[in-house]
Amino acid sequence: MTSILYLGIMLFFVGAVIPLISVRKTKNYAYILPTTGAVTLAIFGAYLLFTPPVNISSISITPVLEFVFRGDAISGFFIFVISILTFSVSIYSIGYTKSLANKGVMGFLFSIFILSMYAVVLSGNIITFLISWETMSVVSYFLVTFDREEKSARAGLIYAVMTHVGTAFIIALFLILYKYTGYTDFSDIKTAVKDLPDAIKTVVFVFAVIGFGTKAGIIPLHTWLPEAHPAAPSNISALMSGVMIKTGIYGILRIAVDVLGIGPEWWGIAILVIGAVSSVLGILYALMEHDIKRLLAYCSVENIGIILLGIGASMVLASNGLYKLSAIAMTAGLYHTLNHAIFKGLLFLGAGSVVHSTHTKNMEDMGGLIKLMPYTAIFFLIGSISICALPFFNGFVSEWLTYQSLLFGFKSVSVTAKVVAPMGGAALAFTGALAIACFVKVFGISFLGMPRSDHAESAKESSPSMIAGMAILALLCLVFGIFPDSTIKLFSPAVLSLTGAEYMSSGKNILYISEIASGLSPLAILVAMLAIFFAAVVLIRVVGGKRKITYGDSWDCGIPSLTPRMQYTATAFTKPIRIIFKKIYRPRQDVKISYTLKPLLVKSIKYSSEITPFFDRYFYKPVANFIHSIAGKVKYLQSGALHLYLGYILATLILLLVFMS
Amino acid sequence: MKNWIDLLYVIDFISVGILLSAVVLNTLKRLESCIKAYIFNSWLLSILVFFVAIKTGNLHLYIAAFLTLATKGILIPMFLSKIVRQMKVTRTVEPYLSNSLSLTISGILVTIVYTSLREGILVTGFSVHVLKISIAVALIGLFIMITRRKAITQVLGLLFMENGLFLAGFSLTFGMPIIIELGILFDMLMGVIILGVFIVQIRRNFSSVDLDSLTTLKG
Repeated sequence: MTSILYLGIMLFFVGAVIPLISVRKTKNYAYILPTTGAVTLAIFGAYLLFTPPVNISSISITPVLEFVFRGDAISGFFIFVISILTFSVSIYSIGYTKSLANKGVMGFLFSIFILSMYAVVLSGNIITFLISWETMSVVSYFLVTFDREEKSARAGLIYAVMTHVGTAFIIALFLILYKYTGYTDFSDIKTAVKDLPDAIKTVVFVFAVIGFGTKAGIIPLHTWLPEAHPAAPSNISALMSGVMIKTGIYGILRIAVDVLGIGPEWWGIAILVIGAVSSVLGILYALMEHDIKRLLAYCSVENIGIILLGIGASMVLASNGLYKLSAIAMTAGLYHTLNHAIFKGLLFLGAGSVVHSTHTKNMEDMGGLIKLMPYTAIFFLIGSISICALPFFNGFVSEWLTYQSLLFGFKSVSVTAKVVAPMGGAALAFTGALAIACFVKVFGISFLGMPRSDHAESAKESSPSMIAGMAILALLCLVFGIFPDSTIKLFSPAVLSLTGAEYMSSGKNILYISEIASGLSPLAILVAMLAIFFAAVVLIRVVGGKRKITYGDSWDCGIPSLTPRMQYTATAFTKPIRIIFKKIYRPRQDVKISYTLKPLLVKSIKYSSEITPFFDRYFYKPVANFIHSIAGKVKYLQSGALHLYLGYILATLILLLVFMS
Repeated sequence: MKNWIDLLYVIDFISVGILLSAVVLNTLKRLESCIKAYIFNSWLLSILVFFVAIKTGNLHLYIAAFLTLATKGILIPMFLSKIVRQMKVTRTVEPYLSNSLSLTISGILVTIVYTSLREGILVTGFSVHVLKISIAVALIGLFIMITRRKAITQVLGLLFMENGLFLAGFSLTFGMPIIIELGILFDMLMGVIILGVFIVQIRRNFSSVDLDSLTTLKG
């Protein structure tokens, strides 16, 4: 079966090389190779889920440097997720990259980027993991800075700094594990780690949360997401937000849950709190963004928070001995991981189509796109409904499971868990409400109403391959929403290997949790909603009798002819929220009025408002300033005077002479 | 054997001359006399090699002695004096430190070297004095480079350093294989020629060879 893996990897490698050497016109069609590669690897991922762990290969270069690749159910699940998104994004890229400069390089980096993500989740030892991890970071850096604009370079710098801070913690935690266990292989470490003192385990856990959390984008380590996602080309943002940040989740699961095993209760509580804070603040900041891709990036922070709420609940329940419930919570977390990959991928692809045809990322310049880009609009709507967790799309199922598992906290012995877990549920409910507000804004402002700019007016529907890429994801949103039972069966081996228990559902396409006698059937909800809809239509027809339809202009308040400037703007739409959460946003407003004749004739009024980027200003700015001031002091060593440098050499020589002899 | 030990005294004696010619550089005011000190230093070096060559009868040492004499003793000094003549004015060395202070520091350098190395006989049969002196000469050369303002004195300091290092290598191993020796000498020659051309060019363009002006190049 590993031959399928090799076939898939070869397809990706060929897919990486061909764009570099082929002629210009055929370059786009090279994306067919990653598409087929994704299919083969999806099969391999599914295979891994249903077999015992497979040793794929180990290449020993020196006794220390050994590349070990191993697949188990957890890697299988992540391979499956990566493959699904890669499949549709590759199809989308055929059309999307047509107008791109440097197509060949793009195709090359695209395939290598995906390969490196597969390598990360298949790594069997420390060295392999770190090399794959760094390859992924470096390649994604090149993709972030792909359009070679100054803004992208800045975003790339922030991304590079943040990701390397994270990697530093990861390297530290691996070195600690190596020092105290003496192994580099994850499975050896897993057996040896049981004898470690608790203090060491705690350090490893904290480092894992910080290191992998940076990649996942937990608050306050999220700052690179809203910079890097908008800067990258949209097919790459879809991959980065959909699956690359999930490798952070994979790392947390692999180290904090799989390798370290069940820890003290406060580990789970910590993850819960981080998840709650990330989800609430993520969506609050998303609401204030008018750049459609920045908004989606903040939304990723929110969804990572929701995933961590599920994982945290699972850890809390496991340390309270409730393994069955812990499995349900882990199912919720993994389900949301899968779902977020799909709907966030879909939303980024949709945003990419919009940006591609309107040439602006600012929502205030869009509007009326539903008439010009109907397919994109429909698929974007499906993505929005899913992310808002509305019924019969996939987000609904996973968030329902997350709610349930957070409420299981009551069943745990410890009082802390009893208090914190339901509060996580409250945070999730709050997040859900704000998410709806957020996506009403995105969809309403960008797709409805009248075009707000010439760009929006001249927008065109995107090419068939782009629509196909989005259609596949939209379909999957529906499928995973209506058939949750089969989906859960698919990845229950991963849950089993993470928590030691399995979530057995009823098997009749109803999510049934026997512990609290509560069940959910999305299919039934779908049928019921459709029935109610048709019943309503029929009822209106029967009771209301024959009715006449007349067409007229919209009411324009008596002012002749409506203009786009009279529309509700994104800023105005979110104003109530900005007022309610004044304490968090700390908004600053600026009104400038210029008169032709003061105070009677007003020439123009300029209104601008901005919110305080809290973490940038109160956390990163001071740290950056501190480092900068140290660097400024070190600069005195570099006076530029030749004699001084020679003096350093002389001093060093003399010191060596004195101390070494 | 007795003969050989006598020769060792001669070698120690010559190397003291090498050290003195380096120390005296601190007090010299005119560039021409600095070059003369370098000539003296190089000649002593090649004589030292020549004595050892006679004693051991090693052909490659004869060649080394000859090459040292030809390049360091004749070619490089000739070239340097030509540059000094071309520069016409300002033939003084303009050090940062006063003569007495730089002499004192040179003395301290020599003391440090002498106290930090143990007494004894090297593998080659030389006494450790030769090694000590060679390191001291290299350090003094570096010190000269630090305290002098002019580009040409930098070159001189570098040449003294190279002589010191040559002596160090020689005292430890009887010198390197001839092909490497040749390479180093050729490098030196080329280096000095290039530096010389640069110095003349710098002077032509900036009407100064003061290295302080280079500080403005810092980013």
